[in-house]
Amino acid sequence: MADKNSKRKKIILHFALSFCILIFAFCIKGVVYAAELNLTSQAQEINVDQQFQVDVILNTEGEQINAVEGKIVFPDIVELKEIRDGNSIVNFWIEKPQLTSLHEIVFSGITPGGYLGKKGLLFSAVFQAKKKGGGLIEIQNAKTLLNDGKGTEAKLEIFNFQFSIFKEAPAIQPSAPEIRDLELPEDFKPEIASDPNVFDGKYFLVFATQDKSSGISHYEIKESRQKFLKILKKWVIAESPYVLKDQRLKSYVYIKAVDKAGNERIAVVEPRYPMRWYENWWIWIIIILVIIFSFIAIKGNLWKKQ
Amino acid sequence: MKNTLQNFLYSLLFVILFVSISGLSYATSVNISADVQGLCGNGNVDSGEQCDGSNLGGATCVSQGYTGGTLSCNSNCTFNTSACTSGGGGGGYIAPAVITQVIFTGRAYPLSKVVVLKDGQIAVSTIAGPDARFEVSLTELATGNYIFAVYGEDSQSRRSSLFTFPIYITSGATTKVSGIFIAPTIAVDKSEVKRGDNIAIFGQSVPNGEITVVISSEEEFFGKTAADPNGAYLYNFDTTPLDMGQHFTKSKAARDGAISSFSKAISFAVGTKNIAAELPKVVVKGDMNNDRRVNLVDFSIAAYWYKRPLSTAFKVIETERLNGDAKIDLIDFSIMAFYWTG
Repeated sequence: MADKNSKRKKIILHFALSFCILIFAFCIKGVVYAAELNLTSQAQEINVDQQFQVDVILNTEGEQINAVEGKIVFPDIVELKEIRDGNSIVNFWIEKPQLTSLHEIVFSGITPGGYLGKKGLLFSAVFQAKKKGGGLIEIQNAKTLLNDGKGTEAKLEIFNFQFSIFKEAPAIQPSAPEIRDLELPEDFKPEIASDPNVFDGKYFLVFATQDKSSGISHYEIKESRQKFLKILKKWVIAESPYVLKDQRLKSYVYIKAVDKAGNERIAVVEPRYPMRWYENWWIWIIIILVIIFSFIAIKGNLWKKQ
Repeated sequence: MKNTLQNFLYSLLFVILFVSISGLSYATSVNISADVQGLCGNGNVDSGEQCDGSNLGGATCVSQGYTGGTLSCNSNCTFNTSACTSGGGGGGYIAPAVITQVIFTGRAYPLSKVVVLKDGQIAVSTIAGPDARFEVSLTELATGNYIFAVYGEDSQSRRSSLFTFPIYITSGATTKVSGIFIAPTIAVDKSEVKRGDNIAIFGQSVPNGEITVVISSEEEFFGKTAADPNGAYLYNFDTTPLDMGQHFTKSKAARDGAISSFSKAISFAVGTKNIAAELPKVVVKGDMNNDRRVNLVDFSIAAYWYKRPLSTAFKVIETERLNGDAKIDLIDFSIMAFYWTG
């Protein structure tokens, strides 16, 4: 009997030891971390006609990521109302997030130097619920690249957003937050460049800035050779890079960044080859007027003497 | 029989253990982040959060620069000031000046140029002191998330890798970013070295810093040297143990208990002859217009060709300056983002 008990104890001990070794082996093998792209929203149960905001969040899981691209696909029971990219970790958009077809938002961009963190906001999308039902807003064809100088693709996990639309939501759900934007867009320095490989070698203007509240809506440009005549020139909506109308670079170039709340910031690029005095028509007009008035004055004096 | 079974079981377990250990994947990144992220939505204002649910951390509309109203919290744990009010009723109240600034301090190289990028564009630059220390500040910032990056340029115009960090700026607050330790610059004297000869690995860092040089091959080789009082360092590496072919080298500095991140990795080949490297090393990757900068102009040039068939002339540039796959895609922009100078 004592023999049987001691044998049983030995068997239990052996199995326990084996089990521990197995667990240890799997633990030290480690978990392979991947970057994550998450679609998150405060709203889970939504009312018909209610607006809700979905954030696209990057968690780099300890890696430095400097480029990201992908596509957000959403069902037809919701309608896209607005895209907000103010406060994005993406500094330069290759493809600014926008609707490319009925139910797809395409985006791609870079963060020079890379981003490392858990809550990197790429952009937010505001949807309106159109009809009752369940749905999924999902990320497709997503890629995140490491800041390693080679563009190595990082392992990526996707977390989509499941939601339900009720005719009458069971409880009050938060709607898309309204943004009260009193700040101007950030200051910026546009630059004129040319390259034989683009725009047939013509001079073009590059510019970019951010708005930390509502996001940049659009840019407008005007060129004027005379500073005081700029008010007569019309603003034209433009994107970077913008091919300059004045290829002789004699114009002041005004670039206006407008955010979604209507706040404006204007940057000016001085002409690289300013107009010489004899190139200004208004100087000639003044000279001619002076000559005419002088002539009239002299003639008048002579007549008086006579 | 029992002993045999026991022995078999233990052998099996040890085999599993051995296979598991040999299958370990090591982290390749040497980035160390001290940013402890809290869980947004847990009701606590954790590090990196402004607020959480109804917990505003004692903040009010007034503390955010408004005159009144109700401050609340967004779903991403940032303040929602949409219900805050500003402006008085003509009662003669003059709001105190609100100064929002961020101050950067750290170490670069003696008397080197230090450049700060704000969201990828040059915001300010300064010159480090003879002790390699620098301090620079930025003001007139709006409330919001920024990506700041810092790099140094040594006495030979070599640029360091970017030291990047995301910061949330709060209106009226002064944010101090200290302890920045810019990675050393690095260069080699030969683009190809005859196997068995020495290759000189050199650059600049902090004065009298301890420099660790890593040479990557199938196995990694480590060497240490000291920087001189001007921050210049030189390490001669005997290439005998290296195989023929391409290798990479990088360095990092240590001083007074602080350690920098690794420098850019530069390549050299081990072959049958010595070929001197072009000095000083110019920025090539990502510099599409050859102006020794990688910035929005280069981005725009590459963006022009994005998803378009490349011209013959541009294919040559793409091969030299990007990844040479005869197209412009996200990988090329990622390469550009790594070599960015602003």
